Amino acid sequence: MNSTVVSYLTGFEPVKQFIAFLTKSLGFDVTALLTFVIFFLVAFVIVNIMAAIGGLGTYAERKISADMQLRIGPNRVGPYGLLQFLADGVKMIMKEDITPRDADKFLFFISPIFCMVGVFSTLAVLPFSSGFTLTQLDVGTFYLIAISSLVGLGVFLGGYASNSKWSMLGGMRGASQIISYEIPVTISVLGICLLAGSLGFNKIIAQQAGLPHTWFIFHNPFAFIAFFVFFTGALAETNRAPFDLPEAESELVSGYHTEYTGMKFGFFALAEYVEVFVVCGVASALFLGGYNVPFNLGGDGLVGQLLQIGAFVSKTLALYYVVIWIRWTLPRLRVDQLMTVCWKYLTPMAIFNLVGMAFWVYWFNGKSIFDLIFAAGSHAAGGH
Amino acid sequence: MITLESYLLISVFMFAIGVWIMIARKNVVAILLGIEMILNAAALNFVAYSKFVTNNLDGHIFALFIIVVAAAEAAVGLAIVIRFFQIKETIHIDEATQLRN
Amino acid sequence: MFLNTLFFLSTFLIFLSSISLVTTKNIMHSCIFLLGSLIGVAGLYVTLGADFVAATQIMVYVGGIVILMLFAVMLTGGKDFVSRAQALMGLIPAMGNKFSTFVGILTAAVLVISTSKLFINLRSAIPQNKMAATESTVNKIGKLLVTNHVLAFELSSVLLLGALIGAAIIARPKKIF
Repeated sequence: MNSTVVSYLTGFEPVKQFIAFLTKSLGFDVTALLTFVIFFLVAFVIVNIMAAIGGLGTYAERKISADMQLRIGPNRVGPYGLLQFLADGVKMIMKEDITPRDADKFLFFISPIFCMVGVFSTLAVLPFSSGFTLTQLDVGTFYLIAISSLVGLGVFLGGYASNSKWSMLGGMRGASQIISYEIPVTISVLGICLLAGSLGFNKIIAQQAGLPHTWFIFHNPFAFIAFFVFFTGALAETNRAPFDLPEAESELVSGYHTEYTGMKFGFFALAEYVEVFVVCGVASALFLGGYNVPFNLGGDGLVGQLLQIGAFVSKTLALYYVVIWIRWTLPRLRVDQLMTVCWKYLTPMAIFNLVGMAFWVYWFNGKSIFDLIFAAGSHAAGGH
Repeated sequence: MITLESYLLISVFMFAIGVWIMIARKNVVAILLGIEMILNAAALNFVAYSKFVTNNLDGHIFALFIIVVAAAEAAVGLAIVIRFFQIKETIHIDEATQLRN
Repeated sequence: MFLNTLFFLSTFLIFLSSISLVTTKNIMHSCIFLLGSLIGVAGLYVTLGADFVAATQIMVYVGGIVILMLFAVMLTGGKDFVSRAQALMGLIPAMGNKFSTFVGILTAAVLVISTSKLFINLRSAIPQNKMAATESTVNKIGKLLVTNHVLAFELSSVLLLGALIGAAIIARPKKIF
């Protein structure tokens, strides 16, 4: 069976003793019950932290954009305006939940749920640390790409069900954009899976180490290009600027969520911010070494796990900053430019990278470029 | 306990639903939905037999190819539907009589 | 324990969405219910230990086919033309008069009797192996695809290429002749 957070926790001696004690005192085998409870608790904690990160994402976006435009940004609620997202959330819950009269009620209700489910299901395989991952599937990357395509469905249905021309155009743009950009993203991920010889996040990360020269982004030139292809495609898949055509507020009022109010709109916004976090996490896991701590500090104990979470989250948040930075720097593309970028540039580049990485693995036995340089250097210096 | 029969019953159910849709609906897209259900029922059977009877992975391979064929079929079928709509301005199946006689 | 729960949830999802799929009038809703039953089938694949097939199922159907069908429904008007003139209880339009209904019920009865006999004999006819422990199938499927089944693999790629070009040519707007 796949290793999970439960199998990590039950590996400890005190936990084993606790299970034995409970089994003896309650009179039945508590392993299944305890598995359920641990999964529930960890999933609850992760979902809440992610919701908080999504909320703080809106705060960070406003604050960073304010910084770039020489403004102050939100600074009224709490210290430095940190609690602004809570105020926004309370406002969204208090707002009236309006369904347009001619809307398709069922689809209008279910499309924000599709977005939320698609994003939060990906958290099951997101590798926060070697122990505290909910589950380490052997098809992890594949599962993540597959389940996150529910978001595109939610965007499309939200646009269709609103019965408004702006929403319709936004939904169609969103669906076509998400389907198109899935191709370069998936092929880039496939190249990394080729290098690591596995589809699972834990094995991909185990092939890398803490220091940058072991990361897959510097493994070979093709992987270096693949990282940028992946990142561009991921920006487009999460509908972030400069690819935020589905919600282009200068042409379509607010795109696919024009007609949404209250908490349903909140679901769309939350799903978008959490998806940005997930995509940045995937980028850091596949290309930037994931949860590996330099020099393996902290070992395998609890301190090591916390350091691993810190390494992963700091890499992810650095990429998150880059995403916000790009949003407030670049202007929006046109629709034809968007499709040109995907089909004429990114997809051929991704396929070229995949073939290049396959040849690299074949010729150099999967050694990274730094390994080859060190080997050549030591050979020139007279070593064996 | 979950046995082979339970999977086969679900598969029969899905197959019947697919046939029902193909008979009862007059919309070409709905008929394509029925075909998808039938193909899924077949694939489920293959994987169930592969797990309970043969114990190798040939059933999985077969299910993968069924999914591939379903994808190709859906793409071509929907292209035909859209072309049909451009010509006839309806997707009622009874209007598709151009090849008669 | 976990697999049993997943099995019952998936079965429930399949039954509910399939029934809704045939009873709903709105073709757009039908697509969503089809998606529900396909996700249920993916859950059943997980209970059978076929993780790769389950992920492929979600990938292809959710990301591809269902969105394609929604696009097709949207481009063709989104109305479902169920002909109700000759329907049996307003549900099954193909069963027009009493004679065809009788034949239909007879066929169904014969089918049910024969399949139930099949089911009764199933356990004795086929030696059922014990359920092996769940392990990852990705490596083995990869090896099988490029060794034993390489011909089918290559042929399916040719099929997909043909479907791609064919769909693009058929759907291209041109003068009706």
